[in-house]
Amino acid sequence: MSQQHESVELVGEETVKHFTTAVLVAALTAALSQVSIPIPGPLPPFSLQPFGMFFAGLLLGPLWGGFALTLYILVGIAGVPVFSNGNAGLGYVLVGQGTGGFLVGFLVGAVVAGAIVHRGVEPRSLSSVSVPVQLTGLFAALVVVYAIGVPWLSAVTGFPLPRAAGVMAPYVPLDLLKLGIAVAIVEGGYLVRR
Amino acid sequence: MLSYRPGDTFAHRLDPRSKLLVQFGLAVAVVAHPTVPWLAGATVLGLLAAATARLSPLAVVRSYRVVLVVLALAPLLAGVTLGPPWFRVDPALRSARLVARVVPVLFVSAAYLRSTPVRETRAAVQRLVPGKAGQLLGVGTALVVRLFPVVLVDVREIRDAIRARGGERRPPWERARLLVVRSLERTLARSDRLGVALRARCFAWNPTLPPLAFARADYPVLALGLALALSPVLTRF
Amino acid sequence: MIAVRDLTFRYDDRIVLDDVSLSIPEGQFCLLVGPNGSGKTTLVRHLNALLTPDSGAVEVDGTDVSEAPVVARTTVGMVFQHPRDQFVAATVGADVAFGPENLGLDRAEIDRRVEDALAAVGLDGRADERLDELSGGEQARAAIAGALAMDPDYLVLDEPLAGLDWPARERVLSHLDSLYADGTALLVVTHDLRDLHERADRVVGMRAGRVALDDDPETALDDLAALGVRDPRC
Repeated sequence: MSQQHESVELVGEETVKHFTTAVLVAALTAALSQVSIPIPGPLPPFSLQPFGMFFAGLLLGPLWGGFALTLYILVGIAGVPVFSNGNAGLGYVLVGQGTGGFLVGFLVGAVVAGAIVHRGVEPRSLSSVSVPVQLTGLFAALVVVYAIGVPWLSAVTGFPLPRAAGVMAPYVPLDLLKLGIAVAIVEGGYLVRR
Repeated sequence: MLSYRPGDTFAHRLDPRSKLLVQFGLAVAVVAHPTVPWLAGATVLGLLAAATARLSPLAVVRSYRVVLVVLALAPLLAGVTLGPPWFRVDPALRSARLVARVVPVLFVSAAYLRSTPVRETRAAVQRLVPGKAGQLLGVGTALVVRLFPVVLVDVREIRDAIRARGGERRPPWERARLLVVRSLERTLARSDRLGVALRARCFAWNPTLPPLAFARADYPVLALGLALALSPVLTRF
Repeated sequence: MIAVRDLTFRYDDRIVLDDVSLSIPEGQFCLLVGPNGSGKTTLVRHLNALLTPDSGAVEVDGTDVSEAPVVARTTVGMVFQHPRDQFVAATVGADVAFGPENLGLDRAEIDRRVEDALAAVGLDGRADERLDELSGGEQARAAIAGALAMDPDYLVLDEPLAGLDWPARERVLSHLDSLYADGTALLVVTHDLRDLHERADRVVGMRAGRVALDDDPETALDDLAALGVRDPRC
């Protein structure tokens, strides 16, 4: 028996832990993309999708956070309806309704947030990261999302850049609010056990 | 949304790597050449792709209806101006032409979704991305596919529970915070159990990969995908 | 034989296993009982090196499991409590194939193992079905098949009957009976002995991280109340 499986290279325990957390964060990003909270007034519905990117960066750091969002996009390309409104497909990511840039932005944003918050590849305990650093990390992630998403939208739909920016502007205050909620969750001590 | 259906069409028999390359190539080509002849060619290719998967164009339109409606609004929005003449035709037409090129790409994507089971996409990822990253991305894709419905049920249950206890009366950000915290807790508990289960079954860097092989029909499709992907460079000469 | 020697394990400075020694011979049907938090699950996770002890050791057929985790995990199969959290693929066949694929077996051998494992739990011919569409009892059996595909000599099952209705219980039990008859050793972790104590060769009871009872099922019945486990006769 023992000779039979000598070639098996087991994945190490730490790697498995990061990997399964990334897998579940990807699944959670997919699930949160299907849920939004309607709010009164002229603002768009309160989508929960950006929390996937925030917590990928906060919990997993740049490498594994980026890995989580890559999985999210790959699963959509494979045909599972994980993008908002139950969309899927490589075509949706690349051109779709012009919002594919935001998906790619979430991926790069998770990497940027993870790098700023954890200052290295290996995720460190969030209790040792100050609130300003967390806010900076998540804010930089949002900047990246819009910096990729808006020109992409402009390229696909033919809106001039200012018009594309105008279309997305109503989402900005909501995203800043979500940023605040994410940091409040961390500071509320809900994640210290991780 | 369209999903995989077993079958024996031309599209079903193709290797997932060829099909992914054509989708990518077509998207690159239409973005690089927003002209009428390219648009016409792309539309023919999109319809052809749907046909090879025995997929009716109507079914494609139905599955991407929300996307298409949003796209249809883009030319209107592009034409509107804040002062007289209130609507300008030129930017609207330009936007319409840009938006029209998206449709064939969605058709080719739909053909892929209908003709490709998830395990083949996973196998393609594992071969296209070398080494350990490819192995983790491949297994990870399969795991997210498996866990997405489970986590979605979790999130909806939590949302309903918040609602049942009068959460409606709280401000939206308060509800969002509660929903995200509870969802995270449940999700991370699942992650611990999944990790133990993977290790118990010898989760390894070097497993036997799902079988995948190019057939004769794949080569022209690969060539087409490659030509499309390189078309922005090729047409310069 | 599985031999546990002087095993001690701490979690956050709390002693979960306190100098546990135990041996389980081949082919035995053994029940591991005790109240919640007594250390049952922690103990069995040491049997195939999912946890590393602070002191002491576990040997399977003479091999130290921490030095040969692959040997341990192919010799001792593990079925966890929540089937839904241990599936790694969307369909039955793909999930059962996961273990053999990790062992690097060739495709024909993998297919054979998947077929055999599914047949052993009465799920033959259902490899292409989606796990989410199976009933609770079928999911429990699919989880057992996933462990059986590793071709283990010992099978550890954590609360395999929890939450199953009566017909589903009966089916799982009958498949366990045939595995036992074929010579697979079974170690069933439970706090409910109904339908199990008359099948077992032995009952081991734990309390506060120690082995507090180790007897044949008939004799053990009288000591269950002291462990906070209900007597299955009442």
